[in-house]
Amino acid sequence: MNYLYDNTFEGFLCCIYAHYYDEKADGVFPVSTYQEDMLISRCIIDTDEKKAGIVYEAIENKISKYDIKRVYTVFCSSIPGKETMLLRYISLGFHEGSKVGLLYGNPVVFNVLQIEKKVVSEIHRMCGLIRFSEMTRADAQNSRSILYAPMEPDHDITEFLAPHFCDRYKEDPFIIHDKRRNKALFAAAGEWYITDFSAGDVLMETDPETQYRKLWKEYFETVAIKERTNPKCQRRFMPARYWRNLTECC
Amino acid sequence: MDGVIFEKLKILSDSAKYDVSCATSGVDRTNVGRIGNACAAGICHSWTADGRCVSLLKVLFTNKCVYDCKYCVNRRSADVSRASFEPQELAALTMEFYRRNYIEGLFLSSAVEVSPDETAERIYRCLNMLREEYQFAGYIHAKIIPGVSPEIIHRIGMVADRLSVNIELPSQESLSRLAPQKKSGGIFRPMRQIEQTLAEQKTLKGAGNMGHFAHLGANIAAGDGSLTEMTSSQNPIAVKETGRKYAERFAPGGQSTQMIIGASPENDRQIIKTSESLYTTFKLKRVYFSAYIAISEAPELPARFTPPQLKREHRLYQADWLLRFYGFRADEILDERHPFLDTDLDPKIGWALRNIELFPIEVNKASLEELLRIPGVGTVSAMRIIRQRRISAVKYDDLKKMGVVLKRARFFFTCMGRYYGGKEPDPVYIKGIMLDAEGIRDNLTDKKSWQQISIFDNHLVENKAANNELSI
Repeated sequence: MNYLYDNTFEGFLCCIYAHYYDEKADGVFPVSTYQEDMLISRCIIDTDEKKAGIVYEAIENKISKYDIKRVYTVFCSSIPGKETMLLRYISLGFHEGSKVGLLYGNPVVFNVLQIEKKVVSEIHRMCGLIRFSEMTRADAQNSRSILYAPMEPDHDITEFLAPHFCDRYKEDPFIIHDKRRNKALFAAAGEWYITDFSAGDVLMETDPETQYRKLWKEYFETVAIKERTNPKCQRRFMPARYWRNLTECC
Repeated sequence: MDGVIFEKLKILSDSAKYDVSCATSGVDRTNVGRIGNACAAGICHSWTADGRCVSLLKVLFTNKCVYDCKYCVNRRSADVSRASFEPQELAALTMEFYRRNYIEGLFLSSAVEVSPDETAERIYRCLNMLREEYQFAGYIHAKIIPGVSPEIIHRIGMVADRLSVNIELPSQESLSRLAPQKKSGGIFRPMRQIEQTLAEQKTLKGAGNMGHFAHLGANIAAGDGSLTEMTSSQNPIAVKETGRKYAERFAPGGQSTQMIIGASPENDRQIIKTSESLYTTFKLKRVYFSAYIAISEAPELPARFTPPQLKREHRLYQADWLLRFYGFRADEILDERHPFLDTDLDPKIGWALRNIELFPIEVNKASLEELLRIPGVGTVSAMRIIRQRRISAVKYDDLKKMGVVLKRARFFFTCMGRYYGGKEPDPVYIKGIMLDAEGIRDNLTDKKSWQQISIFDNHLVENKAANNELSI
């Protein structure tokens, strides 16, 4: 039996619930991209907050607080098949308890840890690779400027960036826009929320912004030492897929 | 904003680019001002075309210098454009860059314009303006100019996160030859002062986990809990500063230094010994190496356009890591008979091959210290091995998943009693395989000396045979 859920974390937890209280699951898949399987029947699981809450608490109490965080981090990745890997990890976790995260040799654990590492390192990378620009609305005159940062991360990491940047820009309101997923983080004065957003085009950079961009590009080119040029090394740290949204590279 | 600031930034960042340090790590601070915070792991914001990271706005306050150090771009006799920032200008520029998330903070160094004190005073004014007027809580790295008075160092330390005094060259003789106006006393006095102030406020941490190994000693048994000590909050790697005003702390990020490699005749052993004694006497966080780039013409220096010794710099950094994180001593890495690091193999393998009688090590029984001695096993994988051993024995297949680099490590360990490195641990055999595996032998041999044998052209076959004889 394959369980299908509605792309939400709660929906996924309900599949785990069904796995234990209903029929055993062979795999868990998002309903939107599910490929029909001739041999395995499928069942769409309705999202129920109560059931999700039960599973959430069970993971927190019977495995560990750290593991519920790990499950959520891995869930936010865009690796295909992550749900089934997590299902295996969680059921192993209920069996082994909090030491499940230490079983590096187990392929179930290993895969999950690898994905977690990918997501966590992208979060860290994005803390540095986001570029804000001071923008105003193009259609309204004298509107207040706001810091706006477009990005195209591999994984769905927008909300993980919120605490870091909210603390850093306590007084400046800002928007971090995930162009790939059409959603954005809006934050002001330490409060933040995430919503669907695709209207980055109505924003226009202010005059000082153009100047500072030039200045930054100038600085970026000056500090490279010509005798040591090593573009391969540069790309290893800063993969070219991120360059589109970097002020100094585009 | 006018064109002047463009010009100034260009000149003063161009002069500052040879300063290596760009670390923003070691301080964990939430936003105690109006803008900014610091992250213990450090954050890199960009990487330049030479592959070095940009995390701080690295500029000189001024490049008008009264000194005439032979190796320096800004020496008095050099023909370069000169400029100076005003404190206000630089503070405003830093804030605008920081708001756009271009940088993690400011790295401020300076040439000596009138006297060391006068220059340091202006650096302080700028940094203080950032902290007080702009309420900036991001990272600040300030360079201390040799010969500055202790009071000014203390004031700068109160607003900066990390301080550094450049030792410039690995030995006193080279310093007096190439930088006659700089005295080694002027370099070590500030270092000592910073170290003592840090010790007084109990935030002296030292580099890597060097300190931990000192009191763990050689008898840490497998899984006796000493690992939890190493990672517990009693020994924090970073100074936690939540809710405290930065002004109460003197340089929470500690101090670092930098020396130039290849401008003077010292060998690698002297360089490593110097950095070890810097780590132990002054408890520095880092010693940076910078391969000398031949920019100036002087009889004491390598000829102009000599390529920088990047490979050597790389191997020295590897040796530096062995000192800081792997519990090695400088005398182990290089001894009297081996004054230079092997550029083909990393220093850890070099050490292992010289001490082959210590190997193979059984991964299921070895202590953390012994595990760290195996080439291909790093701090993370060694910790993982020890953690998993508490649950079940470590099998060969598990090692790769734990992050052990088997192509290097397999010659140096046994796992559940079995040796995976072919015959027995033999230095010559291992070195041969290692050079092949890293593709190094291909780079070393001349490409033209071999070619595909043709069935038809006899003279080519003869050439090939002749070459073979030569290489044997």
